[in-house]
Amino acid sequence: MKGRLKKAAGDPAYQQHKRAFLAAFPRVAVYTGEGASHSWIWFSDLLERLGIFDVRFITEVDILGDALSQADFLLVGGGDTYAMASSLGAEGADRIKQFVRDGGLYHGSCAGAYLVLAGVDLEPFTPFDLIDADIVNVMADPPAPECLEHKYLAPYGDTWVFHPVYGEVELAPGPAADGYSAFNGSGAVATPLFGGPVLEVPDARCVLADYSGVTDRAAFPWPRDRAQRLIEGRQAVAIDRMGEGTVIASGPHLEHPLFPRSNVLMAEALGRHWQRSATRQRNAGVLDRSAGVPPADTNISAGVPPADTNISAGVPPADVSLLEIKRQVSNARIVGFGLEKLPVTWRIGLKVWEPEKIRMFLEYAWDRLPYLEARAARALPLPMAELEQLACGYGGVTVLAKTLKLKVESGQDSQAEALSLLTRLKELTARFLSLYFALRLEDQAEGARSTLEDEAGWPAG
Amino acid sequence: MDSMYYGDVLIVDLDAGTTEQVDFEEADSTGPGLAAGLALYRKHLDAEPLVFGSGLFAGTPVPGACLGFVLARSPLSGEPAVAPLSLFAGAEMKLSGFSMVVVKGRSSKPVYLWLHDGVADIHDASALEGKDTWETTDAIRREMGESMIQVISAGPAGEAGSKLASISINYWGSGDTAALAAVMGGKLLKAVALRGLGMLDADEPEEFYTKAVELLAGARKDKGFRSICEAIGAPDIDAWLKPLTHRVRSCFACPSACSTFVKYNEAPSVLESSDVVEPGMLVTSAAASLWLMQGGWEAEPACRAMEAMAREGVDMVRGARELAAKPLAGGDEIAAAVKSLEGSQGAGWPAGEQMNYGLFGAWVPPLANADAWLAANRVGYVLGICPTYLMLSGLDAGSLFELCAPAAGVELEVDRIADMFG
Repeated sequence: MKGRLKKAAGDPAYQQHKRAFLAAFPRVAVYTGEGASHSWIWFSDLLERLGIFDVRFITEVDILGDALSQADFLLVGGGDTYAMASSLGAEGADRIKQFVRDGGLYHGSCAGAYLVLAGVDLEPFTPFDLIDADIVNVMADPPAPECLEHKYLAPYGDTWVFHPVYGEVELAPGPAADGYSAFNGSGAVATPLFGGPVLEVPDARCVLADYSGVTDRAAFPWPRDRAQRLIEGRQAVAIDRMGEGTVIASGPHLEHPLFPRSNVLMAEALGRHWQRSATRQRNAGVLDRSAGVPPADTNISAGVPPADTNISAGVPPADVSLLEIKRQVSNARIVGFGLEKLPVTWRIGLKVWEPEKIRMFLEYAWDRLPYLEARAARALPLPMAELEQLACGYGGVTVLAKTLKLKVESGQDSQAEALSLLTRLKELTARFLSLYFALRLEDQAEGARSTLEDEAGWPAG
Repeated sequence: MDSMYYGDVLIVDLDAGTTEQVDFEEADSTGPGLAAGLALYRKHLDAEPLVFGSGLFAGTPVPGACLGFVLARSPLSGEPAVAPLSLFAGAEMKLSGFSMVVVKGRSSKPVYLWLHDGVADIHDASALEGKDTWETTDAIRREMGESMIQVISAGPAGEAGSKLASISINYWGSGDTAALAAVMGGKLLKAVALRGLGMLDADEPEEFYTKAVELLAGARKDKGFRSICEAIGAPDIDAWLKPLTHRVRSCFACPSACSTFVKYNEAPSVLESSDVVEPGMLVTSAAASLWLMQGGWEAEPACRAMEAMAREGVDMVRGARELAAKPLAGGDEIAAAVKSLEGSQGAGWPAGEQMNYGLFGAWVPPLANADAWLAANRVGYVLGICPTYLMLSGLDAGSLFELCAPAAGVELEVDRIADMFG
């Protein structure tokens, strides 16, 4: 784990807020399906820092199946809202609404927030009316941007959703934030806004946070003063009850791993919901864990040539597979880093992807490999078949990344290769994190009593 | 002492085709950088070891912290000898995840080592057999998909076991005056390719960074390549190369741009990338330039001769000394002359024949007396600071040693350095 990330992860605030989840751990589903970009990976950092390891990474297929009956929280990050809504359809919307009415929590950041605004009455979004709020940053004829042209607009019916500011903004507490400690510190709560909505929330009691300013760590497609005027005092995070459950729609990515205070705000919202979910707390921990693990017959190794490697004789099989994963993740991220020097982006659906996203996915596996290696070193069980599949999968990613880079360097159209690589990376990262969280959950279950006694200061009961 | 990757040693057994990462338990007592390298060399002496490594600060913002090394028994002297890994190779050596790499034995087929992010792979290099250093660098970078990979290679001269063989860093000469490229060739180790995206840990990161930046701010400003030319009493070299000069370039973290990129296949004034694939070369050796200039060579053919030597993987200083007496003009003539170099001359710089440089060779002309040069080399190879920069910048060795504790939690003293080489 690298410098700033490591420093943020060490923030003492997480220790305090993880207590809300110690008595019973919630079951979390993170949406990684159609339309999801890379930002869902940030949820995994936050959950890990809060000691929540009962996490599954699901797609629209799972939502249309039975996945939400096994979850307490559904977290939806950024991406292409249109693709999300289209793939989930009205049935997906109904499943999500029923999940919330039954006591679940829906948290949407950025695209995940746009998705559930009742003020958006436009197909395919209409059925996703989970929270009474509307979008402010919509215009029929937005002015030309001063920068970030490729990030500036998204079509919205006959009009456009536009983004006047892109980067770090500041939040002030809304009426719903009464008693939230996130706002107790000095200065505003900084958080990143990467194309998320500026909200209009009719009921002030449902406002968890307003935008209160912008910082120098933002880019301004609109002139700064004009952008500031547009967002300041408008709503950033809305929260409301729906049946027994809770809906949160956040313009900014509260879950971003470099913003601990913003993380705390989200953690508090999750914690408050969880603390009043007595029934769910009683049911927590009885889920079918296999639901989160990819099926063994999933073929992610197709077309992958055998690795050209040399491994010392007599090395245990788990070490061999882990070394191969490490080798291929390293190879792929080295190529990915090379791609970042090239002037290229790809449009997939309505979303523009930069080469940096390739390495972002890879870093999530890279940073967590030492944990798997430590398990192997302690001779703790590891799922060999899954490790082998991951190794083959990352080998395929390396090949795809090299092919993509050759195409870009030679000036050829690389759209198809980029789509293939990013899709594969998204699937593989979800798969890797599923394995990682399942193993951490095992560890947690074995150490639950001592964890509770040590960290919460009360007996496990 | 886990910071700066210090203590992570890779053992490569070419006989068996295996790699193994081991703890170097003696690291605390030997000292870092080349001191540890020498201890490993002695430990594995029976296996004719070839040791690659980097100094303590290599890869950090400490000014001049670019230095790694290659250490092996020189075919020329039969004694252990060192070649510098400068440019970006020394830093990348560290960032690849290994402080030291010991290559033992001999492969049954040509191979290259791919060291990346703490992973060591042995790759088949049969397709690279006979390729020159430029072709080798291009092929490896193409295969691994990244142009910033640092490639330490043996050219055709190294594969042939020539006494003039010299290790190359990517496309350029390295300062190997001990024919260590011939040791690589003898092991059928065509190249070592390096890349790492990790970050170096320091024991006290903020203190280390602050002091490193202070050192940089306080270092004497020098004129890079021109400073070296002046220091060896040959300021005319700079003027001689001037008509071909495109830009100057420094090694990793070094404020002194002591290499000069010259263009002779297109106008030096052309700044943007053009269709000319190989517009010129990087002149890394003031000494080679001086030999050719003094021999009456025009600058352009002299640079073409240096390119030919770089491609062949030939010690540019001794090669230039041998070529100096017969100035040439045509490209084909030059290439043929380089291929027929015999290594008939002695140490690269005349003074090297009289002065005892010990391990270090005469890879640049002496910038001071032999004792000062030896002392700068010892400090430089332990700490990973280019000894040429140490001498030109006037950096205070005591200030550098104060960085050892915040960097890696070690206390080193200047007075102890000579003992490390005892």
